[in-house]
Amino acid sequence: MSENTGTAAPSKAPAARFGGKGLNVAIVVAAIVTVAGLALWGMQLSGGMVQTGMRNLDSWGLYITMFMFLVGLSAGGLIISSAPRVFGLEGFGGISKIAVWTSICCTVLAIGYVVVDLGQPLRLWELFAYSNLGSPLMWDILVLGTYLVLSIVYLWAMLRHEGGKGSAKALRAISALALVCAVLVHSVTAWIFGLQAGREMWHTALLAPWFVSSALVCGVALVLLVVMALRRAGYLELDQRYVVKMVKLLGVFVCVDLYFFGCDLLTEGFPAGEGLEVVGMLVSGPLAPFFWIEVVGCALCAVVAFVPALRTNPLIVAASLLAIAGIFCKRVQLLVGGFQLPNLDYAGAMSQYTVTGWESGMEGAYAGMVYWPTALEFGVMLGVVGLGALMLLLGLKYLPLQPSDRAR
Amino acid sequence: MRMGMVIDLHRCIGCHTCSVACKESNNIPSGVWWNRVLTDGGSHIDAASGEWPNASISFLPVSCQHCDNPACVKVCPVGATYKDAETGIVRQDYDKCIGCRMCMAACPYNGVRSFNWEEPKYSVEFAVGDDDVPTHQKHVVEKCTFCYQRQARGEEPACMVMCPPRARYFGDLDDPESEVSRLVREREHTQLLSEEGTKPSVYYLV
Repeated sequence: MSENTGTAAPSKAPAARFGGKGLNVAIVVAAIVTVAGLALWGMQLSGGMVQTGMRNLDSWGLYITMFMFLVGLSAGGLIISSAPRVFGLEGFGGISKIAVWTSICCTVLAIGYVVVDLGQPLRLWELFAYSNLGSPLMWDILVLGTYLVLSIVYLWAMLRHEGGKGSAKALRAISALALVCAVLVHSVTAWIFGLQAGREMWHTALLAPWFVSSALVCGVALVLLVVMALRRAGYLELDQRYVVKMVKLLGVFVCVDLYFFGCDLLTEGFPAGEGLEVVGMLVSGPLAPFFWIEVVGCALCAVVAFVPALRTNPLIVAASLLAIAGIFCKRVQLLVGGFQLPNLDYAGAMSQYTVTGWESGMEGAYAGMVYWPTALEFGVMLGVVGLGALMLLLGLKYLPLQPSDRAR
Repeated sequence: MRMGMVIDLHRCIGCHTCSVACKESNNIPSGVWWNRVLTDGGSHIDAASGEWPNASISFLPVSCQHCDNPACVKVCPVGATYKDAETGIVRQDYDKCIGCRMCMAACPYNGVRSFNWEEPKYSVEFAVGDDDVPTHQKHVVEKCTFCYQRQARGEEPACMVMCPPRARYFGDLDDPESEVSRLVREREHTQLLSEEGTKPSVYYLV
């Protein structure tokens, strides 16, 4: 990497301006955050998960929310990169490699969040020794692992292809496989929740396609943000028409996602049975802030995507951020919503392990959100994000991910 | 064989003796309850709803339902929660559990499964109850075992032995001659959340 930060050499290709001190500082910061996260995880394991906000009646929390969210984020890069190749369409200006690299980072993070959520991470090996192949969690581990390996192979094949080795046909075959795997990975993640008949909020056949659409929304938005930031930082050149094309695509995905949400709310609410509680909880209950941020944020994102005059760079960035925030809010609604409506809401013996806010009984505990993370959970979460940033930046520094002519 | 329990709600007086017997017999850590007597009434334990003379209260003892179609067993990625082939009892292997809590998300009977969120603590310094209960572990899921260790010795679960009004019956639901089968056949009964399709092995006489 050149130490020249640019002002002296305006005539050079923009790619040469990237890197230098700024990148190195960012790498060090990301590494420090990662190490701090590891230390906090050590604290969680030694002092016990009682330090988190999770309890028996809300047994999953921020980590599993982030797991769902990152599985979604990982989709965009892979799909943006592989779909045009599979269907023989014009791509998005050679950003394939960088897009797949963000995918790989997000997949690693998703796995990371499952690991920090485990009570007994040292027993992870049992997943392979005593696999219960009937468990959706096991399906997810298998598909997520395959997805990670395929993404890496796909990136490697692209690099090889650009170096003049490997046939275009082989690359296309790998990209098709990766695309199928991407769709599967979201469906399987949805089934971890959607197949549980005991949770009113989760139990819907729509969940799998909905996870795919949400993944496309936040995944494409993430790729947009990354390539626009890298273009600004001088890492790559990208014609604005590719950006506009991606924004339009984002708009379509956002609309599909909102449409699915509408279908789900209507199906839950119309019979005015137990499903009405789900609608009430989202629209005006404890989860309302997350519901409205998602709906309004996604709607605004669609407006920016479809009104040509609004497709300016700052607004495109804002729209992408709104889309990502919206889908994160969707994940929070799904996770907390699954626990917010207990099937047996009778008063009974409670303790500090039953639910947070147990001192005020079932009514008190369920008055607001039944789950809210503790500072430790936020810390561990940030640590895992730090790991992702570290991987992303190291990739930018050491891997040849810039667009090349052959890749376009 | 499918071991099951019948609980006569007409007889239950809400004394919580079964909860304490369970806790004592299984040396259950502080703050953990495998067997809880829920109050169907007001918003607090043992509180009635409404005002005198129109107040109402009834009790519902709830622990693991030992389902014939258990949601927890299906989702456990490592088979740490499993259905015992011989007795049909849903058991939990502490040594195998990876602490993912998938079973807690899947079980519709909220609260019957308990995770040890920290190193188990006890109110007395020595272990109580049966000496053959497995040691409780930090960061694993546990729950009612129908007192598996007692059955192995030919004894009945602690909750039903100690029940003062004798509201509980225990036996083989597959044996038409057993007392539990006879009660299910002859008495009006209900099951918890039967619409979930889990086919619980616990019946409530109403």
